[in-house]
Amino acid sequence: MTTPAHTPGGSPLPVPHGVGNPSGTPVVAPTRSAPHKDGGNSSLGTFGVKSGLAQMLKGGVIMDVVNAEQARIAEEAGACAVMALERVPADIRAQGGVARMSDPKMIKEIVDAVTIPVMAKVRIGHFVEAQILQAIGIDYIDESEVLTPADDEHHINKHAYKVPFVCGARNLGEALRRISEGAAMIRTKGEAGTGNVVEAVRHQRAVMSEIRKASVMSEEELYAYARDLQAPFHLLKETARLKRLPVVNFAAGGLATPADAALMMQLGCDGVFVGSGIFKSGDAAKRARAIVQAVTHYNNPKLLAEISEDLGEAMVGLTIDDNLKGGRLASRGW
Amino acid sequence: MTNHKVVGVLALQGGVVEHLSHFKRAVESSPEQYGPFQLEFIEVKTSDQLHRCNALVIPGGESTAISLIAERTGLLAHLYEFVADESKVIWGTCAGLILLAKQVENAKRDQKILGGMDIKVIRNAFGRQLDSFESNLDFSSFIPNLKDFPTIFIRAPIVDQILNENPRLNENLTHPPVPMAKLTDGITVRSENPYSNSSPVEILHRLENGFIVAVKQGNKLGTSFHPELSENFLFHKWFLDTFVLAD
Repeated sequence: MTTPAHTPGGSPLPVPHGVGNPSGTPVVAPTRSAPHKDGGNSSLGTFGVKSGLAQMLKGGVIMDVVNAEQARIAEEAGACAVMALERVPADIRAQGGVARMSDPKMIKEIVDAVTIPVMAKVRIGHFVEAQILQAIGIDYIDESEVLTPADDEHHINKHAYKVPFVCGARNLGEALRRISEGAAMIRTKGEAGTGNVVEAVRHQRAVMSEIRKASVMSEEELYAYARDLQAPFHLLKETARLKRLPVVNFAAGGLATPADAALMMQLGCDGVFVGSGIFKSGDAAKRARAIVQAVTHYNNPKLLAEISEDLGEAMVGLTIDDNLKGGRLASRGW
Repeated sequence: MTNHKVVGVLALQGGVVEHLSHFKRAVESSPEQYGPFQLEFIEVKTSDQLHRCNALVIPGGESTAISLIAERTGLLAHLYEFVADESKVIWGTCAGLILLAKQVENAKRDQKILGGMDIKVIRNAFGRQLDSFESNLDFSSFIPNLKDFPTIFIRAPIVDQILNENPRLNENLTHPPVPMAKLTDGITVRSENPYSNSSPVEILHRLENGFIVAVKQGNKLGTSFHPELSENFLFHKWFLDTFVLAD
């Protein structure tokens, strides 16, 4: 494996130049504005516009939905966006087979049903599925290990698209490789469809611990660390300076309760994805509302206690071991 | 009269730290100017935090999520009161502009808005994310020397009409049809807040095509775009100087 090189396509490369971080000021995933045209002309699909939407999703919950009715329930619960897909990860696990991009008709029905942004998933490396989703005007594309990979070596060159991408990662190196390919948002992979938060915690802790390590390194050490992580040096250096990922970072993969969501927020995530956890539970609307509140008030245990009361059955959780039905999805991609 | 001012950023959902960071950079940029003042910048999630504020920024985010979260924790009633108190300063960016309006078109059914400004706002007026854009705008007509300010519009709203005005004024406000993503369920909602702003609406900026993207009414400011997403903190400095520290 090699560190992916930048391939200058039609769109400008994201050269990160973050908001300064003198001690005491809050740390911001910086907007990386592309060079502007003269005369106040506007430019579409710049990295600033792509990462900017992710910044507006922060502190929010993005919910998996399989039809317009679920999308309305999610919006009514206070979701900041929905992920349109044909089967939630728990069902993909249970039913097996190849999981692909959803039917565009079904995605369009969800787009028409809600006023909030709609995301949809493509298979890792399947750039034509991505072209299709961009053509139907989806707001965000998730190049996702939850679907069966279409390419076991290459991820999509995401710079080539006007629509922004979110990608999964298990550690800092993987996150920076995806950002170097053009991802405008990162999520922990976790282990989707299990209702078991342990892998999401592992991945978020790995990212944070590697960022802390990098943040005290000298430039020489950073060169060596970039080699070890197989991450582009300039992105690692930027991460070390900001003491956080240079794009927004959500948690995903196995969150099932308000406490799970608050846990991931306290571990330093900017927001959460909840997949099977909501619509595979006893009272989806109530649980969805509770998780939304938990992400806003993640630091308030008293309120979290009230929020967690009487939510009905949580989704059935799975132990993550070698017998896990459907296997470990997080190991897909590199 | 005190020199201690608390500026809050509503932190229910959305881009919060970006605003806090810009304010702090603005203050650090001119220690001499801000030396006499004790400025405090806080996140606002609860009514106790809200009641400490002299000024509030309602950030970008999803306006539906922000108002639903406010409603369910009981903060909405306090926000109605805060908006109705004309000694308080408020600035809404993007979703914040939507929440400040008296009327919103293309809204979610039953969406709650704060009704602080006599404007009708169209949500997602430019369309979907693919239509989001960056543009350098000339704000020198209201911010001295700010000629080439980088703005980012993300699924942005625009001000469509000024309400409670001589209807003839609105005739001059005609703009081309909005390319908004028309929603099956998109309807017009009105604020339930009985407050009525006592100042006239001033239009601060219109795009070349006539879309109104920055307005002021008394102590309240609304912008369609996100100054907090550009590298430049001068818009925030102007807000501090002319709104927060005006008296």
